[in-house]
Formats: sequence, C-alpha cells, structure tokens
Amino acid sequence: MATDNSFARLMKSYGRLTIFLIPIGIAVNFVGGQIALLLKLPLYLDSIGTILVGATCGALPGALVGLLSNAINSITSPPTFAFAILNVLFGLLAGLLGRYGVFKSWWKTLLSAIPFAFIGGFGGALITIWVLGGAAVGGTGLVVGSLVAAGMPVNTANFVAQLPIDLVDKVPTVLIVFAIISGIPRRLMVKLPLGYVYLSPSGGGPGTGATGASRVR
Amino acid sequence: MSADQDRGGAAIRAEDFIDGFRRPATQGNRVRDMNPISVFLVLGSLAVIAVAVPGIVAPSTVCVVLVLISLAGGVGRPFIGNFSRLFVAIGLLLFVLRSAFAGGTPVLFTIGAITVSMEGVLEGLRFALVVMAISGTVTLYFALIPIKYSMLALELKGVTPRATYVLLAAFQAITDLGKNARVIMDAQKARGIETEGNFVQRVRAFVPVLAPVFLSAIAATEEKAIALDARAFNSRVNHSHLVTLRPTPAWEVVFVAIAILCAVVACAGAVVPWY
Repeated sequence: MATDNSFARLMKSYGRLTIFLIPIGIAVNFVGGQIALLLKLPLYLDSIGTILVGATCGALPGALVGLLSNAINSITSPPTFAFAILNVLFGLLAGLLGRYGVFKSWWKTLLSAIPFAFIGGFGGALITIWVLGGAAVGGTGLVVGSLVAAGMPVNTANFVAQLPIDLVDKVPTVLIVFAIISGIPRRLMVKLPLGYVYLSPSGGGPGTGATGASRVR
Repeated sequence: MSADQDRGGAAIRAEDFIDGFRRPATQGNRVRDMNPISVFLVLGSLAVIAVAVPGIVAPSTVCVVLVLISLAGGVGRPFIGNFSRLFVAIGLLLFVLRSAFAGGTPVLFTIGAITVSMEGVLEGLRFALVVMAISGTVTLYFALIPIKYSMLALELKGVTPRATYVLLAAFQAITDLGKNARVIMDAQKARGIETEGNFVQRVRAFVPVLAPVFLSAIAATEEKAIALDARAFNSRVNHSHLVTLRPTPAWEVVFVAIAILCAVVACAGAVVPWY
C-alpha cells in the first residue's frame, strides 16, 4: 500500500501533531529571517524553527525541518543548499538537548548556544572552503573579504569570521526558542513527542512548578 | 439580460468548471504540461552536463538553453528577471571572490594582499557559471511547474501523502505566517513594543512578534487535523485526487531519454577524457 511506507511509519511513531509542526517549523525559519530584516537586526535568526521542532518533537523531525528549510530556500538562493547539513545537525542536536531537558532552564539554554554556534561557525567555514572555495557570500563574505584584504589566509579568515558571527546569532536564537517553549500551553505540550520532558515535575522548566504554571497559559 | 439567460450562463460556467476536473490538468503550454518528473530529469541532466564538462562553454551553453526553455515554456519574463538577479547577487560575487583567492599565473594585477591571475579569472568564471547553471535549473523548475503538480506526480509514483502534505503545507505556511508576522508586528507596535532603538531592544522585540505567530499556528493545527480526518487523510487506502496529470506521451519519454543519455556521456567524458 502506497501510504504504508517507512516515512509514514516514522511519522506515525512521532504522533500526528508532528506532521503539522514540521511545516510550521519550516515557516518559522523563514519568518524569523524576515522579522530579523524588518527589525534591522544584523543576525540570521533562520534556525529558530529547526531548534524549536527538534526541542519539542525530537531529533528527526527537527533534522527534517532543517533539511526542507534549506531545500526550499535554495529555490531562490541555490548555494544555501550546500549548508543544509548544518541545519540538519541543529535539528539533531536540539532533539538530543531537548530530551535531556536543556530547554527547561534559561541558563542551560544559554549554554546550548555554544555547541550550536560551533556547528554553525566551524561547519559553515568548512563548507564555505570545500564547496565555495572560501568565497563566503552575504555579510560574512564582507568580513572574510576584509580579513583577507588585511593579509589573513582565506581559510583562517573564514573560521575567524564565522565562529563569532554564529555565536552572536545563536544566543538570541536559543533564548527565543526558550521563550516560545515557555509559552506553549500545557494542553498542547502534552501532545508533543517531547512534551513529557517539559511537563515532568523535576526542574523548573515550562509547565512545571509554580514558575512554570505562571508561564503556561 | 433576462433572469433565465443569467441562470443559463451560470449553469454553463458551472458545467465548464466541473468538466475541468474530468480532463487532465493543463497549463496551456506544451513544456509546462510535461510530467513534473520528466521536467526534473531534463533539467537535472542539464545541470549534470554543466558540472561534468570542463571549461566555460558547457555551463554557458546550459545557461542559454535554460533561457530558451523558459521562453518556450512561456515563463521567460519572470525567469530571466530572477536569473539575472541571481547572476548579479551571487554569480558576480562568486566570480570576484573566487578570482581573487584562486592564485595561479600569469599575474594580471595586485591590490594589497590580493593577486589576480588569468588562471584565477578563468577558474572563477567557470565556478560562477557552474553555480549559475545549477541555480538556473532549480529556479526554472519552480517557474515551470506549480508545486502542487510536483507533489501530485510524486504521490502517483508512490510517495506517501504525508510527505507531500508536509512540503505543500510548508509553502502555504511560509505565506500565511509571513502575513501573520506583519500583522502582529503592527499590533505590537501599536501596543507600545519598541521595534526600533538599540540592538538589545530590537532583539527583545523579536519574542512578542514571533511567539504569537508560532503559538497561533500550533493552535490552528488541531483544526487542520480535524479537517484532514474528515477527508479520510489518515485512511490506509490509496487516496483519490481531484486533479489528474495527462498521460506521458512517447515523444516526452524519448526526449527525457536523450537528455539522460547526454548527461551520462558528459559524466563518462569527465572520467575518461575525450576532449
């Protein structure tokens, strides 16, 4: 039967709500970037949906959001697809961290920006060097170009530019994810695959204890 | 016009509308009416040729062929506009950066630490043209084929409707959530949320805009789930379709086979040089 294949079985294991949250996660990635532009922020903020879905639905749905976001983005900006692996890794990492309850407290969430920034910065620099020959595009490209013009080797310039830029981007990203997770109502949270993590009595996460109860509407 | 004539006209229009679903979907153009998978294979073959054949002639030719296909498909104006923007925004930048960093001989000129050589310029030109050829095939595919027909073609090939739903819903959600975000941002501005000012202030304004967008989208998923259940989306039988694609004619199969053969020859040439 056409519908009874591995994708359908995988999605079924994650629950029906996950199927609806994947498109929303993809859209949030786009909308996040658009809002950043509207607010004139010098940040990407284009992986909020990936981390959000990963943290609430699990690693594989998060990775799928990352992959599809870059695939759709590549329609208008094809080089973006080369960086899809980074967004996939963000989703996988968010799922893993979400399972361990990292997004239940703000300070753990803040610390999680470091591995996300490492993946984005280090991986982004590697892909730029391997696939684009070190020719970064966008704002990062200008920083890399300036460093090269100042005499730095192109590979070093990519790492030096991309790691701090990604850290500055990922700190607000994970804090926004934390704020949104904190606002997810308990009756919806209970239906999400990783909802039990956030509803469990241990820790001060969303939907738990006195502080959690005040956050859950 | 009498009321009877009015009713007669409406009945004919309704009959035409209903009849439209009895016939295979058409966009009124031979290229755009090709099966989405055939278009994908032809454009994919062109991208492979651009990558596999060395030099700048192949990717340049592929770019020209893409423009010709877009004209034949009746999407010349939007495609050429988008493709030109890609050339300026990405192609030109890649060419300049690649030429500057590639090194090589003979040296044409030097600016500070950057040395530009003929070898670097040629390498930069090929790299930019190959990226543009690949970009062009992706852009042209989506200009020629509506996403709903692509998903229908995949479903007819056995892809689960859950996967095609995710993709279709993602495109729709991008549009819907984008509109919502603008409305919510205006509403939050009216309520006194600072969307201008220093960096921290603007970052703080992000949450009251994005959080309602996401939470309202999640809340709407319950209604969507009910709507899909009412249409037996989760039923474990083959789904019926309101729209059908036209049967693939023999000339289309031959055309696709030739395109794939050209791509295979180009790849073989890259492994066993024949040039």
